[in-house]
Amino acid sequence: MIWKIAFRNLVKNARRSVTTALAIGVGGLAALLLGGFVTSIWYGVQTSMIQDQGNLQIYRNGYLEFGAANPEAYTIPDWQAAIDVIRADAALAAEIAVITPRIDLSGVAGNAATGNSKTFIGQGVVAADLAKMRQWDGWNIGEAGLPTGLPEDPASEEVVVGLGMARMLGVCEALAVPDCKDAPEAGAGREADPSAAEYTGLVAGDADLAGITAGGTGQPQLNLMAATTEGVPNIIAVRIAAAKAQAVRALDNAFVLLPFDQARALVFDGSPEATTIMVQIQDPDRADAVKARIQTLLGEAGMDLSAYHFTEVDPTFTRIFGMFAFIFAVVSAVLALVIVFTIFNTVSMTVVERVKEIGTIRAMGFRRGFVGRLFLAESALTGLFGAALALALGVGLSRMVNSAGVQWTPPSNATPLTVRLMVLENPTFAISVLLFLVVIAVLAAVLPTFRAARLNIVQSLQRG
Amino acid sequence: MNQHIEAAQLDGQTITAGSAAPCAARFEAVTKDYRLDKVKVRALTEVSCTILAGTTTFITGPSGSGKSTFLNILGLVDRPDAGRLELFGADVTGLGDAAAADFRARNIGFIFQSFNLIPVLSLRENVEFPLLRQPMSGRARRDRAAAYLEAVGLGGLMDRRPGEISGGQRQRVAVARALAPEPRLIVADEPTANLDTRTSREIVALLARMQAEFNTTVVICTHETQLIPPHSPVIEIIDGRVV
Ligand SMILES: Nc1ncnc2c1ncn2[C@@H]1O[C@H](COP(=O)(O)OP(=O)(O)OP(=O)(O)O)[C@@H](O)[C@H]1O
Ligand SMILES: [Mg+2]
Repeated sequence: MIWKIAFRNLVKNARRSVTTALAIGVGGLAALLLGGFVTSIWYGVQTSMIQDQGNLQIYRNGYLEFGAANPEAYTIPDWQAAIDVIRADAALAAEIAVITPRIDLSGVAGNAATGNSKTFIGQGVVAADLAKMRQWDGWNIGEAGLPTGLPEDPASEEVVVGLGMARMLGVCEALAVPDCKDAPEAGAGREADPSAAEYTGLVAGDADLAGITAGGTGQPQLNLMAATTEGVPNIIAVRIAAAKAQAVRALDNAFVLLPFDQARALVFDGSPEATTIMVQIQDPDRADAVKARIQTLLGEAGMDLSAYHFTEVDPTFTRIFGMFAFIFAVVSAVLALVIVFTIFNTVSMTVVERVKEIGTIRAMGFRRGFVGRLFLAESALTGLFGAALALALGVGLSRMVNSAGVQWTPPSNATPLTVRLMVLENPTFAISVLLFLVVIAVLAAVLPTFRAARLNIVQSLQRG
Repeated sequence: MNQHIEAAQLDGQTITAGSAAPCAARFEAVTKDYRLDKVKVRALTEVSCTILAGTTTFITGPSGSGKSTFLNILGLVDRPDAGRLELFGADVTGLGDAAAADFRARNIGFIFQSFNLIPVLSLRENVEFPLLRQPMSGRARRDRAAAYLEAVGLGGLMDRRPGEISGGQRQRVAVARALAPEPRLIVADEPTANLDTRTSREIVALLARMQAEFNTTVVICTHETQLIPPHSPVIEIIDGRVV
């Protein structure tokens, strides 16, 4: 009977009920869509980072704290041995999709043809392994990994540079990169400094001096110079296969992705060292378990290495997600406030209109709690209608947006992701939002309802 | 329906057992003040009287004399500031809000001047409504409501809403609603004030008939003395005092 009365009163005051349900519905819709967007960031950004870096990374102990100042002192002494230890574990074998070493390095890069040179930040990777990592889609969100641009032949001498790097080296035209123009008179200013000129000459053009000849493939030639772990300057000649944009501008302006063996030859002089071992896991939700297991295995093998989640190494994801979570929290709080005020207002009006009915019900021997339930039921129903509206609109609108294929480049990415508002794909979230709507609809009604229940019976009955 | 009434009477005897003259209500020096902006208005002054069970008692008096206040205290929706009230042999003076509500649900029915039906409920649902406080199945509630609507002559309009019937018919529904839980006491404050003379007589006659049929105690407040049947017990209140 309570629900019958509640429902019929809502129908009776149709316009007011619809307005209130709309306020709840639109508020819920905004929360669902924004939440759907944040969800897609959660999965999308993590996916592209895992495609690039793996879920876990193994470093020599101390690297994350002190490695930046003295990278040579914190390399993994024998990456193959470490990988063998992990691969030997049968349970892990099924969980791990890719396990591959990487060498991080830096130095000076120069192009002989243009005479330009500049510092570079490089990563030496096993091209085939990275290509496989780029295919990872552990959450099945359909995010296609980008090709690395590196040939998979381990002996290849081809490298990939950042777009900014290509521009600065003046190789855009040679690579036929769209939206990339070579700087006019690149490097002209630098000639004034004689010591710089000497250095530039060494890296950029004086191939004879370094004893290296450029290949005749038509690809721009690049000389990379770096210090080996012993501190001896070393130089290799490679060819630029492609230029690919990097997310961070500073990195894009200096980035070189090179074959693992080339990097190894340049800085480790053939020794079995590596900066890190990237571990990509089939099921991202198993990352913590795999990390613990790897840690145990490395410890048992007496290796001075530790495994880290990629978010521990690079806080970018945590920060991006934190920012969106914060925005979501603020927007939700504002929406909740609007909903609370709307409902408070509606229930207060309803109570005032029905004071005499309240007095009558109380006179008939119903306790205060019954009167309370009568009005709370009405509010709960309004909340339910609002939530249903939010769900219907949310599903409809997210489908529309998703099929429109809007592109968005997250702060961490070089290339845009297709915006996919994940509303139903995150059922826990969607259900929480809908439940929250009903709960605040009820909570917002508590105060006016409480007042209604406590009305003086005689005075309510005297009301006209 | 007779079974229900027997049950009610049995129930009544459990409380009134032992008292020679069955007394529905006993007022002992009941005083009631209203506070209006810190000014005290005395509505009832040391009212003492008894209402016999199984009668239709009329309360009369000029406007503002305290009739409604008297009925509100009798019906347990208001409390005296001083004095004592006994209903069916039980001291109900100090009952708390919930206990008073429970007592009303079991023992007291109300009929109001402006009918006070719930507009969104059908006539049958209106009569069913107070039965929600009784331990009955939904089916029993519906049957009981239908039976009482039949008894007041509205069996054919059960599915209408209060807005779709006349004032006299509404008050009949209110009578059925007050009777349906089979209370021992029915309190009616000016039940005919909003009705024309003919309808008023019909309602009073209906109440008298129902009182006789179900042997309840009915207390009606009215200033239309011509409606009072001869030989009825009358309590006259003037200026907050029983005369
Ligand atoms: N809620 C209230 N607040 C303040 N004073 C009140 C209140 N209700 C009644 N009174 C006062 O108490 C006195 C008795 O009022 P009551 O309503 O009992 O009179 P009544 O005999 O029922 O009058 P009527 O015939 O007009 O209905 C009056 O003086 C009235 O002004
Ligand atoms: Mg009155």
